[in-house]
Amino acid sequence: MTTPPTGGGRAVLLLRLAGPLQSWGDRSAFNRRETRPEPTKSGVIGLLAAAQGRAREDDITDLLQVRLGVRVDQPGTLLRDFHTVSDYRGRPLLQAGVSAKGVQKPTSPAKNTHVTQRFYLQDAVFLVAVEGPEALVTALHDAVRNPAFPLALGRRSCVPTQPLALKPHTGDLDTALRETPWQASEHARSLHCRRTGTRPARIDLAATVDDPDGNDVLADVPQSFDPRRRAFTNRTVRHTWLSVPTDIPNPDPPDDTDAGHDPFVLLGW
Amino acid sequence: MTYLSRIRINPLRADSRKLLANPRAMHGMVTGGVADRPLDERVLWRLDTDNPRRPQLYVLTQSKPDWTHAVESAGWPDADGDHALVRDYTPLLAQLAVGRRFAFRLTANPVQNTRTPQKPSPGQQAHRDADPRGRSFRIGHRTATAQMRWFLDHTDRWGFTIPDSRTDQPAPGLEPAAPADGKPLAPKEVRITDRQRKTFTKGGDKPVVLHTATFEGVLRITDTDTFTTRLLHGIGPAKAYGCGLLTLAPLHRSATES
Repeated sequence: MTTPPTGGGRAVLLLRLAGPLQSWGDRSAFNRRETRPEPTKSGVIGLLAAAQGRAREDDITDLLQVRLGVRVDQPGTLLRDFHTVSDYRGRPLLQAGVSAKGVQKPTSPAKNTHVTQRFYLQDAVFLVAVEGPEALVTALHDAVRNPAFPLALGRRSCVPTQPLALKPHTGDLDTALRETPWQASEHARSLHCRRTGTRPARIDLAATVDDPDGNDVLADVPQSFDPRRRAFTNRTVRHTWLSVPTDIPNPDPPDDTDAGHDPFVLLGW
Repeated sequence: MTYLSRIRINPLRADSRKLLANPRAMHGMVTGGVADRPLDERVLWRLDTDNPRRPQLYVLTQSKPDWTHAVESAGWPDADGDHALVRDYTPLLAQLAVGRRFAFRLTANPVQNTRTPQKPSPGQQAHRDADPRGRSFRIGHRTATAQMRWFLDHTDRWGFTIPDSRTDQPAPGLEPAAPADGKPLAPKEVRITDRQRKTFTKGGDKPVVLHTATFEGVLRITDTDTFTTRLLHGIGPAKAYGCGLLTLAPLHRSATES
């Protein structure tokens, strides 16, 4: 479970999760693999553990004391990936149930093809803030900069784009999420400017932050990544909107600069 | 001493309508605000109708004027706010220096003097036939291109220049659009915001016809003395009828960066 911020000795690691595809699975199993619209805590902690080179069976309790905040800089769109699965030897596929001996039973009538569907977020950008003890955050930042295992955005096939780790923030998590500029791509920025007809200095972005007083519960806190003992617990989160600087060059100047021709300004008025 | 005044005009009043329609009536009202007699000083004025429902009259006088009569007959005598602002012009004159840039606005009457007009009227033709080397005719420029060319040709002798516009090079094969008459104009930091043809009578048979153009843009001072003279004594003809008053304002931030 999360620990509340205690002020001194804590730091915030900022990760920019962006890539052509992302998939943040949550309680999906079997042939339909869905994705959450935002990165899950288990996905982020798994990424950090992979960067540190931990095996799946290793202890991750020290990583669970971090507080997580996710900002949706670019929501992306949902991609459905349609697959069929067959046995390459031409044999019928086995069913999920097992016999008394513990081996999978064949289906009857024989089934040769599974239809599976996988869902991805395409063209999404998230800013993930991880708040924790300063020593742990520094170690995690070094690990992400020099990862032991290849990092992935929820699935092995979803490769992140650079830069992945932004400069660590020394304030608290909410300040970091509010002050870090909009991380959307150049194309998304120009599209936003064209659609709104403005070049705004700030933009409102959705965010989900760990908060014991929050009003939503997500069951994505991993207890262990051991394939034989996987378990998850809950965390309480708060959904908010943050006003974030866009960093769009030359935002619209305020209206008072276009005040018309007033000769009296030069006369001391 | 020189004073710049700004008087707000209430366009709904009968007196104002006469003033707004007839530059001669406005000239009478403006000279009526100057106390010293005989009136031998140069009075310049300009009517700014950025907002047609709230026209504003700018007047430059050598002595301190009083605009009570204008407020009573053509303003809002009991309303809140400044009916007429009168301000000493000396602080501006102290700021003038070679190379300084200002935003400017000028309503002028562009004219040319020629002995050989392109389309002489019957009267002009008769004069030419009678005396081919006689006095030339003063003819108003009537197209925006000719008015702009008149302005740009004269800025040097008024003590300032207009900076070139920041424009991109045209794509290969594309030439800048040439005006219908004459050579293309190089892009400058000036534009014509208003053009008018004004007609009014002055007691004689023939009406007075004025073609005015309002120029707005950026200027750079090249000769302080000449420029001061033009500021105080006006530019071009028809100064009694609301032409020739050049006013300066600070540049906007975008123009300052250039």
